Amino acid sequence: MKIAVMQFPGTNCEHECLVAVKTVGLDGELFRWNRPAAELSDFDGYIIPGGFAYQDRVRAGAIASKEPVMGALKEEAAIGKPIIGICNGFQILVESGLLPGTGKIDMALAQNVMVFNKKIVRRGYYCDWINLKHDAMPKRCIGSFIIDKGALLQMPIAHGEGNLVTMNKDLIKKLNENSQVVFRYCDSQGREIPEFPVNVNGSTENIAAICNPEGNVLGMMPHPERAFFDYQLPPFDPRKNSGQAGPGRLVFESMKRYIEVRK
Amino acid sequence: MNKHTINLRVWLSIPDAEAATVKNTLVRRMGFQDILADVKKERLFSIEVDSGNPEELAKDFVKELVNENKESCKILIDELKFELGYVPVKVALHIEDGEAISTRERLRNRLGFKNVVDVKKATIWKLYLKGQNQERVAKEIAEGLLINPHKDSYEILAKAKITA
Repeated sequence: MKIAVMQFPGTNCEHECLVAVKTVGLDGELFRWNRPAAELSDFDGYIIPGGFAYQDRVRAGAIASKEPVMGALKEEAAIGKPIIGICNGFQILVESGLLPGTGKIDMALAQNVMVFNKKIVRRGYYCDWINLKHDAMPKRCIGSFIIDKGALLQMPIAHGEGNLVTMNKDLIKKLNENSQVVFRYCDSQGREIPEFPVNVNGSTENIAAICNPEGNVLGMMPHPERAFFDYQLPPFDPRKNSGQAGPGRLVFESMKRYIEVRK
Repeated sequence: MNKHTINLRVWLSIPDAEAATVKNTLVRRMGFQDILADVKKERLFSIEVDSGNPEELAKDFVKELVNENKESCKILIDELKFELGYVPVKVALHIEDGEAISTRERLRNRLGFKNVVDVKKATIWKLYLKGQNQERVAKEIAEGLLINPHKDSYEILAKAKITA
């Protein structure tokens, strides 16, 4: 079971993702954007890591989405192979039309707008540890295949453009009805408070991650690869250096389980 | 009331890597190699003031908003004109533009220009196109790469506004 960890110019989380993939027992390989795209069919799954592909020129994800490798990934997604886009990877999946999965650009991850007491208190880049609630049933999505509905996870975010907005009035309703909203920002008790600092970027309905209708393409703003090992956890987390796995490991274990089941 | 709109067209005088990337993507990935000769980019600040001498104010704004070590600019008062030879495509956010609001607040509150009423920001993509149907091609390019319709809007500036 071999995973291609995609690397565009400006990607900066590929090595952490590769370590995570290998640690859960999958084979992994960095796949540079300028390799022949047809070679992607040799892999069983794909991760598009975070970073700043093409320096976010024009807007985050726009240039990378036009690369031939993204055309090849669309073909692999169509036959059910799993793809996880993390942070900038999520932005690339949105710009390429793979998410929310209507085949066209149906939403945007716009600049963060932090609202508190109905007033904008800050904008732009922000990084912090946040709480996430898993809002889909287990097995609904490849990246949360083994996670119970309602489970709370802690992961870091680090982005300037994660604010999900759409002009398609029916899209959010459709995402909710189809259980395509995989993770939402919440507080430590699981309450989805729509304001900062719980809703960390102003995203519509606290959405942090969505999948395509088939569930095999996941885009998420938080970084599971940075919450994979116990030593990566923040000092205030009682699991730090405790020997327990970090919560981000569940995302990679889920991908592995999906591939095993699919085979 | 002495309302004026001060337009600052600002462009890099050093090589513009973003414009080069856009050109490469359009030519190498999106099939515009026979139509597109070049792409250049400008930032546009449209600053509305309700008093003061607009020419003098514009010079002050340039000092604050333009880095003259690497950027050049052109000041236009109450008009927006572009040169012949390219199709100017104006791209701006249709959702709230935090950077424009920050610029307005900076000019008004930190720098004391209390006559600043509003600031709008946009990017002008200058598409140097060959052949016929240039507006149609510019529309294709705008919708295919330059905007995400869920947050950006674009305007192909009318021919009437394109003057020498």
